[in-house]
This record gives sequence, C-alpha cells and structure tokens, in this order.
Amino acid sequence: MTDRAKTAGPSATSSFIGRHWAALFLVLEVIVFCIVADGFFTLHTFQLVFIAGIPLFLLAVAETFVIITGGIDLSVGFIFGFGTVVSAKLIVAFQGLGLGDAEAILVGCLATLLIGIIPGYVNGWLVARLRVPPFIATYSMLSVSYGISEILVEGSQAGNLPYLATVVGTSYFAYFIPGRGLSFFSHERVTRGTDVISILPVMVVVVFVIILIFAFVLRNTRFGQHTYAIGGSSDAAVRSGISVKWHLERVYMISSFLATLAGILYTLQYAEGKADAGASYLLDSIVAVVIGGASLYGGVGTIGGTLIGALLLSVLETGLRVLGLPNFTIYVTVGVILIVAVLVDQFLPERTDSYR
Amino acid sequence: MSNENPYPTASLERPTAVSVLARNWALAFLILLFVVFSITGRGFFSLANFRNVFYQPTTFIFLAAAETFVIITGGIDLSVGFVMGLSSVMAASIMQTLAASGIPVAETLIVGSAVGLAISLIPGLVSGVLIARFRVPPFIATLGMWGITNGITLAICQGFPVTGVPNAAVNLGNGYLAYGFPGKQLTMFAWPAGVVDTQARQLIRIFPNALLLWILVILVLWLILNRTRFGQHTFAIGGNMEAAKRAGINVQRHLITIYVLSSFLAGLAGVYNVFQSGVGNFTPFYASYELFAIAAVVIGGASLMGGKGSLFGSVVGVLMLGVLENGLSISGVPSFYRFIAVGVILVFAVVIDQLFPDLF
Repeated sequence: MTDRAKTAGPSATSSFIGRHWAALFLVLEVIVFCIVADGFFTLHTFQLVFIAGIPLFLLAVAETFVIITGGIDLSVGFIFGFGTVVSAKLIVAFQGLGLGDAEAILVGCLATLLIGIIPGYVNGWLVARLRVPPFIATYSMLSVSYGISEILVEGSQAGNLPYLATVVGTSYFAYFIPGRGLSFFSHERVTRGTDVISILPVMVVVVFVIILIFAFVLRNTRFGQHTYAIGGSSDAAVRSGISVKWHLERVYMISSFLATLAGILYTLQYAEGKADAGASYLLDSIVAVVIGGASLYGGVGTIGGTLIGALLLSVLETGLRVLGLPNFTIYVTVGVILIVAVLVDQFLPERTDSYR
Repeated sequence: MSNENPYPTASLERPTAVSVLARNWALAFLILLFVVFSITGRGFFSLANFRNVFYQPTTFIFLAAAETFVIITGGIDLSVGFVMGLSSVMAASIMQTLAASGIPVAETLIVGSAVGLAISLIPGLVSGVLIARFRVPPFIATLGMWGITNGITLAICQGFPVTGVPNAAVNLGNGYLAYGFPGKQLTMFAWPAGVVDTQARQLIRIFPNALLLWILVILVLWLILNRTRFGQHTFAIGGNMEAAKRAGINVQRHLITIYVLSSFLAGLAGVYNVFQSGVGNFTPFYASYELFAIAAVVIGGASLMGGKGSLFGSVVGVLMLGVLENGLSISGVPSFYRFIAVGVILVFAVVIDQLFPDLF
C-alpha cells in the first residue's frame, strides 16, 4: 500500500482517505458502537475485543504471507484445531511422565510448535515442488489435519489440563482492586463480588510481540522482499535468482506455525483441545487480509493492513454481542460492511488494486 | 492438464474413449476407484449403492455446475452454499404456509419451488452487479453475499429446519420415473393403483427422478456452455477479459448473467434439497459446501485463473469425491480416517497428473 502512495492523487485529503479507508472505517465503527451500545466503552470490552481476536489476528497474519505469494491457505483453521488438540494431549502426556506443571506446559507447547511446522512444510512441498494448486493442496491438508485431530481426541475433546494452563492463558499484567491497590500478574484472593480491574492481558501482548516480529520480517528483511517478489511475478523471481521453491515452503511453514501457535494459546485459554475449534476462522482470516488491502492475485499486502482488517471484524463481533443482537445479524453486517468497504475502496483515488 | 486446449475440441476431432480418458485424469481415477472399491467393499458394487453414489450428490452436482461457469470466467462464487440454504428454507416455508391453509398439494409444491428459485436470483444479481459494474473482486462480492444470505436464512428459519412440507415432495424427490408391477400397467411417477406397502418388494422401479433431473440440467447447461455463443463468450472472458471487451462482447452484462445463473443453480440445489429431505435445511455455518464444489470443479480440470473448465469434468469431480467417501465407508474405514484418506488421495491424484501429464 505504501508504494502506491507515491503516485500522485487528485487531492491530498481524498487520497489519504483512499489509502487509509480501512483504518478510518475501524475508528468510525468504534465510535458508533461507543454511542449505540451501552457498556461498549469500557476497559473490559476493549480488552475483550483483543482477547477474542487472538486466533483471528494470528491466522490472518499467517494468511497474509501466503496470499502475498499469490497462494491461499485453506488449512489454517484446522491446523489451528490440530494445534489445540496436540498441545492439550502433549501437556497432559508430559505431566504423566512426571514433569511439573510449568515444565509440562512449556515443553508441551514447544513440542507442539515443532510438530505444527510439519503440515506447513507438506503444503509448501506440494505447492512448490509438485506444483499442486495451493487451493487443492491446502484443502487436502484441511481434511487430513481435521482427520488426525479427531482421531487423537477420538471424536471428543482433549481436556484434563493442569490448572496452571488456564492461569497462564488468562492472566493479566496488572490487577487493580479499588481500595487495596495495584498488583502485578496475580491478585490476592478476594470475596465474590469485589471489583477487580484487570489490565493488559498477557497473551495479547505476547501475540502482538510475535506479530511485530513477523511484520518486521515481511517489511524489512530480504525474506520479506522475496515474498513480495514471488507474488508479483514468480517467473521474474526465479530469474533474479530467488530460490522460489524453498521460499514458498518456508512461507507455508510460517503459516502453519502461526496457526499452531494460535491453537496453543486457545488451549491455554480454554483448557481444552477441540478439533473443530478453528472452523469458523477459515474465511474470516481471508476476509481480514483482503480488507487490509492485500490482493488475492499476490504481490500486495501488509501485516498492518491485515491487523486493521482483523480488528474491524473483532470489534464488529464484540460490538454486536454487547448490543445483544442475535447471531445472524453478525453475518449480515459482516457481508454488508465487506461490500461497502470494497466499494469505498473502488471509488476513492489511490485505491489498492486488488482486482487485476 | 496444463497442455489442454481450453476450448471445446469436439468440433475439431472426434473423441475416442482413450482420448477422453487421456484428457480427464479424474475420470480415469474415478473408474480406478470403482474397480478398487468393488473389490475391497462388500456391497459397493450393487444397485442400491450406485443409487447412493449417483443420486445422493445431486445438490453438489448443481453447486459444482454453478461454480464451473463462474470459474471459467476467472471468478469464484463463495455464496453458493448459503444461497442453497436460503432457497431451501424459503421454498419449505412457503410450502408449509400453503399446505397449512389447505391449498392443493400440486399447487403448494409448484408455488413453493417457484418462490425458492426466484429468491435465488437476487444474491446472484447483486453480486453480479457488484462484480461487473463496480469492479468488486468476485471473492469479496460473493463472500459478502455469503454472510448476507446466511444471516437472512437464519433469520427466516431461526436456526431450525423448516418442517410441514407435504409428503408428496419427498415421494417425488426420492421417487422413480416409472413403476411397473407384474400384471399391471406401467405408471409414471407414482405407484400403480392398488399396490400396497407389503407388495413394495415386487415393484419394479425404473430410473430415479433425481438422476433424471441432474442429467437433464447438466445436458442443458452443457449445450449452453459448448454449443452457444454465450458459452464461447464465457470462455473468451475467462481467457482474456480485455480481448473479450475489444472483440465487442458485452462483458458486464455477460458477467451479471453468469452470477445470476450460478445463484439460480444454487437455488435449484436448495429446492431439490427440500424434495430430497422433506424439510427446508439451512446451511450450517461450517458446512463449506462452496469449498467442496470448488474442489470438485478444480479436480475436473478447471483453472482458478479462468478460461478453462468443463461441466463433464466437474460432474466427474463431484462423483469422484462422492465415490471416495462412499467406497471408503463401505470398505470399513472409520469416519475420521476417511478425512485423511480423502485428502491424501486428492493430492496424490493431482500430483500424478502433474508429474506424468501423458500417463493417462
């Protein structure tokens, strides 16, 4: 999006809107909800937007890398499910081996991350070396990872996680209890009904640090430049000496790594592993990336844009919940906003050229 | 696959059995699956099971046909699954209301189906106009309709299947074209007079209605795609939109028609669904019918970049995925292993096609 800004637009204001419509839309959305929805403008709700959005943020960032190369990854939602199941199973297994709670969680999560790279490697190998269309390769991986996850949990859910897991998953950096002061990471036992103001969820910070790292990789490193180059023209990338095959493999590995990470965080948050936990994120993550200005034909897209797209969806969902509207209004609103957003994009100058 | 002529070749050369197989790895694979499952699965090679294989996937054949037209133009239609649900629920609600108010069965079914089909034109018209006139990417426009139709469907049915459809619908949808009974005259669509349930085993059933329906629909669509100017223009737009414009094709109007057609076929799938199951089914949120349909079309040799694809291939794609499920299930593979097998075999088939383009 940034390089497009260099071509001169008719007027500074309209080109500014054209470039940042998604962000402006997000601000507008937040303002509308603050006015319309009672109880939206609270610290709790704002943090909820981010906490509920964790899987979507990570999956959308995963999808961004793949979409920039001109591919698509349909498997992220079910690799997410795979991540929840494997991490839940491994943590319990390591606990059974006699490790302490903290060690079991740590080792289990790390092992899951390693295992989580495998589906991505297979995807990348199929797409890059065997020239299977990404749609088919990742659709198959969706099926395979779902099958494996369901077999692991035998059609049920993985549970029995140590209590510590939920503590890690749902803790905040600081707690403020009126009259008793501020405490960090944990708060003293309080009687039921006491106000505890929780500030800054740990997991959200962790996720944003990780996303920042990947944003840096995409924006400022040679790896990132090559990603854009491959998406722009795979042929030209080959001719300029980029090892396209290995690069594509790594991109799909990043994608499944992030999806697995999202799965692990889900396990820590809800203390269970569910094979279909990520089913609803399949298209949401792609929507977020496209709202963020990426092109499905490859070569265009930014992590920042994707995050704005994901936030837009997350705010919408939380806002409509706070308003107490039934579930189906969310679908209709997402649909309308998606179309309106793209129409605005089309009619304002400096539009991101998402359609050839 | 990559060397394939995107245009219909029937006018250039007479296809032989070998050349048809050579151009359709999916068909070769389908036949292979039939042979393998006939050996491994007890009861796979039986008339009763062929019934499952050939006419259970009727709705998916309509969805894949819809997707074929759109994909040939280089677009994609993510809304088909929910348009199907919308039509199904809408048609069933109308039938429910009419049946409850004592309208004769025939009129109830006809009016209900007509409304279901009519309502399905709207999402297609909207996404077509957005795509053609306002240059909204097809992925986004149809994803928007995906959300909107899903929401409206749930608002109509409140998350429950719509019941109260006359029984005649199910009898017609699961019925046969003709019934014969020893010593009685052949009757169309209904059992001969005087035959009771206990004699059902002696009844000779000829040609399922569902199979007839989808064969007829596919035949008409095939003629449209391969024998009319409309079809040629569809391929031309997918091959090179700019060139198509310069050649004087009204691309905007054509694209709108394509998305309306796609939506209409999804609506047909929805209305048929009422006749098949006897209730109006909303499409569950996680169903991913659209992904299944797109996968079938791609297996059938279409390119998501446009300009390439065939209805025959798409039907083979749907049948192949159906046979794979059905055959593995009959061969005793537990359900979750089937997901893995479908994924592995799908990739395996595509890889073989990629590695050895001349094998088949």
